[in-house]
Amino acid sequence: MALDKKRKRGSAVEKDSNVILPVNGPDEEDYEMVSDAASGSGSSDDDDVEGHETAAEDDQWGGIDGQASSKPALNGAAKDLHKKKPPTAQELRSIKDATDLYRSSSFKLQIDALLPNVRPKYQRSTPLDHFLHTLHSLLSSLTSIPPKHPLAASRELQAKGIAVPYPLPLPTEDTNWKVSFEKPSEILLVGSWPNKLSVKAKDGERFSVDLAVIMPGDLFQEKDYLNGRYLHKRAYYLATIAAALEGRKSGVNVDVLYGTARGDPRLTCLILRPKTDGSQNDFTRLDAEIRIIPTLPSNSPILLTRLSPKRCNVRTSSGEEASNELATPLYNTSILLSTTPRPHLLRMHSLKERVYAFSDALALLRVWANQRGYGQGNRLCIRGFDGAGSLWCTILDLLISGEEPNPNVVGKSSVTKKPLGKGLSSYQLFRAALDLLARHDFSQSHVFVKSDRGHRFPPEEYDSHEAVLVDSTSTVNVLAGIPLGSLEMLKHDAALTLEALNENSISEDPFSEVFLKDHRDLQSRFDVVIRVDLSSAQLREPSLHATLDLGSPYNAVLSTLSCSLRHGLGDRVKAVAVLHPSGQAWSLSQAHPTNQPTVYIGLLLDAEHAFRLVDHGPSAEEAETMAAQRFRDFWGEKAELRRFKDGSIVESVVWDVKTADERAHVPFYICRYILHRHCGIPESDVQHWQTSFDSLLRLPESIADMYKSATLETGFKAAQSAFDQLVKSIKALDDELPLAVLNISPVSESLRYTNVFNPTPLPRSAAAALPQCAQYLAPMDIIIEFEKSGRWPDDLRAIQKIKLAFFERLATALMNSTQGLKATVVVGDFKPVSDVQDIAKLEIVTLQGWAFSARIWHEREAHLLDTTIDDKPHVPKHLKQNLPGGPDPKERQAAIVAKELYTRRFIHAPRHHRAIAALCHRFTAFAGTVRLVKRWFASHWLLGNHVSREVVELICASFFLIGGQLSGSKQLVRAPGTKERGFARVIEMLKDWEWEKGLFVPLYGEEQPEGETASTVPVTSPSSRTGVWKVSTEFDRDGHMWTSNGPDAVVARRIRAVAKATWGASQEIESEGYDVVTLFAHPTKDYDFIIELEPSVLSRYCQNVKADPNVWQRKGKYVNLSKQTSSTPGVRPGFDPAQFLFDDLSNAYKDTFKIFYDPLGGDRFGAVWDPTLKEARTFRVLGGFSSIPKWKEDESSKEKGKGLVVLNQEAVLAEIERMGAGLIKGITTHI
Amino acid sequence: MSPKLPASVSGFTPIPLTYSSSATHVLYARRNVGSKKNKPDVKGKGPAYPEGRTLFLVNVPPDATEREISLLFKSAGTVERVVFDGDREEVEEELEESDADEDMDSEVDGVDEDEEDTQEQPRKKRKILKEEKQAPPQVVPLPPRPDRAYRRTGGSAHVVFLDPSSLSRALTAPSKPKPWPVDTTSPQGFAHYENLYAALRPPLDVVRAHADSWMELFEYEQEKKKQKSKYKKGEAIVDEEGFTLVTRGGAYGQTLGGGVGVASKKFQGEVREGGGKRNRKNRKEPKEKETFYAFQIHEKKRKELISLKQKWEEDKANVEKLKSSRKFKPY
Repeated sequence: MALDKKRKRGSAVEKDSNVILPVNGPDEEDYEMVSDAASGSGSSDDDDVEGHETAAEDDQWGGIDGQASSKPALNGAAKDLHKKKPPTAQELRSIKDATDLYRSSSFKLQIDALLPNVRPKYQRSTPLDHFLHTLHSLLSSLTSIPPKHPLAASRELQAKGIAVPYPLPLPTEDTNWKVSFEKPSEILLVGSWPNKLSVKAKDGERFSVDLAVIMPGDLFQEKDYLNGRYLHKRAYYLATIAAALEGRKSGVNVDVLYGTARGDPRLTCLILRPKTDGSQNDFTRLDAEIRIIPTLPSNSPILLTRLSPKRCNVRTSSGEEASNELATPLYNTSILLSTTPRPHLLRMHSLKERVYAFSDALALLRVWANQRGYGQGNRLCIRGFDGAGSLWCTILDLLISGEEPNPNVVGKSSVTKKPLGKGLSSYQLFRAALDLLARHDFSQSHVFVKSDRGHRFPPEEYDSHEAVLVDSTSTVNVLAGIPLGSLEMLKHDAALTLEALNENSISEDPFSEVFLKDHRDLQSRFDVVIRVDLSSAQLREPSLHATLDLGSPYNAVLSTLSCSLRHGLGDRVKAVAVLHPSGQAWSLSQAHPTNQPTVYIGLLLDAEHAFRLVDHGPSAEEAETMAAQRFRDFWGEKAELRRFKDGSIVESVVWDVKTADERAHVPFYICRYILHRHCGIPESDVQHWQTSFDSLLRLPESIADMYKSATLETGFKAAQSAFDQLVKSIKALDDELPLAVLNISPVSESLRYTNVFNPTPLPRSAAAALPQCAQYLAPMDIIIEFEKSGRWPDDLRAIQKIKLAFFERLATALMNSTQGLKATVVVGDFKPVSDVQDIAKLEIVTLQGWAFSARIWHEREAHLLDTTIDDKPHVPKHLKQNLPGGPDPKERQAAIVAKELYTRRFIHAPRHHRAIAALCHRFTAFAGTVRLVKRWFASHWLLGNHVSREVVELICASFFLIGGQLSGSKQLVRAPGTKERGFARVIEMLKDWEWEKGLFVPLYGEEQPEGETASTVPVTSPSSRTGVWKVSTEFDRDGHMWTSNGPDAVVARRIRAVAKATWGASQEIESEGYDVVTLFAHPTKDYDFIIELEPSVLSRYCQNVKADPNVWQRKGKYVNLSKQTSSTPGVRPGFDPAQFLFDDLSNAYKDTFKIFYDPLGGDRFGAVWDPTLKEARTFRVLGGFSSIPKWKEDESSKEKGKGLVVLNQEAVLAEIERMGAGLIKGITTHI
Repeated sequence: MSPKLPASVSGFTPIPLTYSSSATHVLYARRNVGSKKNKPDVKGKGPAYPEGRTLFLVNVPPDATEREISLLFKSAGTVERVVFDGDREEVEEELEESDADEDMDSEVDGVDEDEEDTQEQPRKKRKILKEEKQAPPQVVPLPPRPDRAYRRTGGSAHVVFLDPSSLSRALTAPSKPKPWPVDTTSPQGFAHYENLYAALRPPLDVVRAHADSWMELFEYEQEKKKQKSKYKKGEAIVDEEGFTLVTRGGAYGQTLGGGVGVASKKFQGEVREGGGKRNRKNRKEPKEKETFYAFQIHEKKRKELISLKQKWEEDKANVEKLKSSRKFKPY
């Protein structure tokens, strides 16, 4: 033991003195034993602590007798020492709290940094207090107005320019009750302001300071709850106060406006906004506004029992059969709301006193909600949440106080087993609230917050409400008036956020995702976005009762709209949200709020059911039942009786689609139909953008027609079956080939559904009919693997030659066996490459016109290349330098290039292909997303040449794969349901992607091939690659397999800029005249020069985003065109002159300019000069650019020897023109 | 625009060429200076560029062909051959300055010609073969690529004249810019691509003949190599001093090339790992007990606290940093 210790000690000292050189221990002898043991244990158990720290620590404890002693380092150590003191008890508590009660300590610190920014600056509230005093004295000095007939009273006020906001049903001339005014019996500051719970709203909306003005009880009579009488009196009261404030003698300098929540005229209040005048009453700097809310006194004669949710208090039909009428829950709620301000104030106060984290948790919850459009804002907000501030308090109240037991539901409590503890942190409360929102369905089981006096109304009476959460006073259902679709959306968002918070990855801090990011962007939030113009809406079954209950005809339309959509879409959607900007305050001269003429409908699809073509209703046997009746009534002429395969005859609705594209539109078709049938909105007023996105992925119609007339089978399925056919015929050749074919794997976009365009064949017969600019035939890459054999030569060059021989044999055999098939061996590439590299391929064109390009994978190549690169892998590096011989550096370089190509082409590409193809089957929206994103990259001149197609697929895949999985469901909550949303998500991510951090895509699922990665890591050194993006997968930890050739830093920044611009343009969706094509229009003004190509000779021109049909229709206009068509040597797979020229130019002028082009039918190249070349520099033989001597008149003799040269731009342009003869129409330079 | 050019730039004579009325290209020419590398090379060829009649050109147009260069210097004398750098393996002294990237490129170009560019290659191959034996199989060439090839801009070339006197004539600065002679027989642009596309797809029988003959040659060479090599598999290599060469190779120490083999390191490692696991465990056991003394426990706790605090401080600093950059203003 002792010996061991001794040894240990020795090593520890050695180690420490190595690391800590600068430490100067105080004198040693006495401490030796201690320090020894300490350092011994320190170095053995704490390996992860860096040496630095150990150093400082040893220092403090007496340390070791380090021989080294240096003064300056001691300073550093002393500084460290200060930091390294163990925390005090208090500090310790706060640290422990932060880590235990919050998600992490940094999360807690971020919350602390956030909160002050969303709260009002209470220290600036002195002017407000002054103002409130003034207001109080003004209001209490108001003179009474004797009772008048409501209409007469309103005429009087009208003369002063003030409209009385009487809600429906409006008072008439024969109304037999009167309105009057008396000064308020009490004026109270209520709501969140006095409790200091205010939270800033979105879009610079002001904090609201709620002022409850309690009307004297003797203004009212017992029956005032009927037919809006109370509300009329309230409206008059409000208008009178408004008149007083507007009056010249008021002495308050404010703008007075009407305002309300949810566009409900019954909840009208007065809004006072300060004007800047510098007086002591000017509270502009507080960014607040005062809301005056007339409130019922506690002793009012109106009987609250009459306002139970089941009662009908608006009598639409005359007569006595009031009991038969439907309940008016919303109307009742609107009156009850006049009683709650004071109890709410007290309740909130007591909560805040009892639970220390209440105010922080509330702030977090409200910030969270505001960021997602559950609140006020100028941008599109989810309907039903403006002015719903008490909802958030009630939710927290429910968590803290628990539930009032519901006598009808015996035994189980529906929400929580028991109330939460009072010591919870703000984060825990916030999480609990999200958890409640995400899991609880308020429409299924009603929730009553624990109240002091038990239930005021029997719980079963609340059945007339859609969703129920009754507040602590047991009077008001805070969810009244919020559409169910909006609640479903809230539920979804809460689940999403929980998912983000549950994610354990350290790299991704969810804080900004949860609190700082604005999530209101329609296109990345909803799968389907529909814009509806309500101006001509006409309900099919207008109901006076509903209108009166909801408060206005507009609200009735929206309510019907939302309900019928929900019903019609059924399980196809997870949520249907109606969105519009929250209502604005309006001037006093107008009685009612102005309504938004357009609303947006956002659908969140359930991918499993969303695209179903048939909806089943009740079966025929029940034809006469209510259910069948209702079904037919709902669907109108769409409903039909159908007999199905299983023999059942069922009422059903069938949606006809012609193409696969249209299938994705079924939810939209349903919406359009329902809006038309139930809300009378003409189809032209219902707008969506899916079709415009579809057309981006389709060839122009005239070209498509030509294909159609040639009766060609196009599409991914046809391509796949052509491939299967080919595989079959190759496998059938086993006898004629020297080795049996083991495997044929596809590696083409066309065979994994991610090609931008539907793959099209081009048989010789049809080729003549098509114009030259549609002659492109994309060959589909396949890889052939032969069985293993010892007969392959053990030499790289020979292997390439043997491949040629194999191809020749295969080609001959295939052409003999398969009719109409044409096979050609391609012996090289356009760009010459080294002869150790895999180069030859077999080009096969089938009778139907499908082109394949086959390569042979021979595993031995990898080994041979490895030995060329490093022939003595077992010799350590430092010894190798001294060894004679070794591989020829050039050969080695060539082998490195070849190995990289080999790894990418034969190892990664097939695997990638399989994973992506599987993903396409798993997620319906995935392939579309990839295609759109590819189209976007292409149209911005980046795809292929700077951004590889595979990395686009990986980035898109990340949106479908990343994120925790919600229990039970196969689909991720976050996975986009349509390609449009997927596209928007990708753009959103690209616009501020910090690529240095990298992106990990778990493309291959559970496989954890740790061992394998080591061997497949490419041998490229970091310096040799230009790409800056890092997109890694399980098989490519390094993350540069598909990005090593770009984008480089310049292009990556450009991508970010273009994505930002695209994102900006896509925000236009919120205004009129949004055109999808603008997202794909590429601005060219940033390029130094533009090379215009001759579109008629480009074989892919018809794929251009803005292809001009004239190019292929006016045949014969171009002389050379007709000439060339006649001499066209048949089908040429992969012949794309624009791409060839592009490759040559980018290779030849690699260091002169950066060149960009749209590989999908682009007819222009854009290029940017290397800015450093514009400076004169000394002449070098291998300058790598075309130069011209710079002649300086005042050249001093000293400089004469060195010739300065600059880039010879004119000559370069002339060369380009020469190289592209017949292709280039002209070059435009921008200065 | 035809700017007045200096008489010489770093020892090169600039030769202006007019592409069009507005564009002037400048070629830099110099007498080729042989370097140490320009010695007769290993394979025993003669000097690549004969002294005295080789012109070194810089900034050759990327699309220049041999014929175009010859035409350009016709007035100076007959051109024997033009070698574009990157098409040859010899590297001029100037190449020393080039970065790795360039090296690689020239390499790629250089090697390719072995088979792809049959213009030059068969000649060379045949040459090599001739020295080795009288009757090696001949390789049937693939159809040639078009004359025109697009190289990197600003590249260099060697022009070998037939007559040394031409050199000085070529180097005298011309009075007025010469027009660039465009060779119309090898097309540019669209037609070039069409030709190239066709050239890369030779008839099947040519491919077959090429592959077969190449393999014949390969086997012939392999055979010869085998004959030449005095080492046979499994036989020990003993040098003149009587030492036996010991090499690694094969999992079980069998070598392919010759010499006495020992097992590969990997194999040895595997064996050791598989068999030696228990040993290591045993070795670890006599470890110091970490919680033996009270002070050790204290120490450990204290350390934990300190690291806790440190992490806290780090987080705090991080958030401070974020605060200054992001401003925790959600809206």
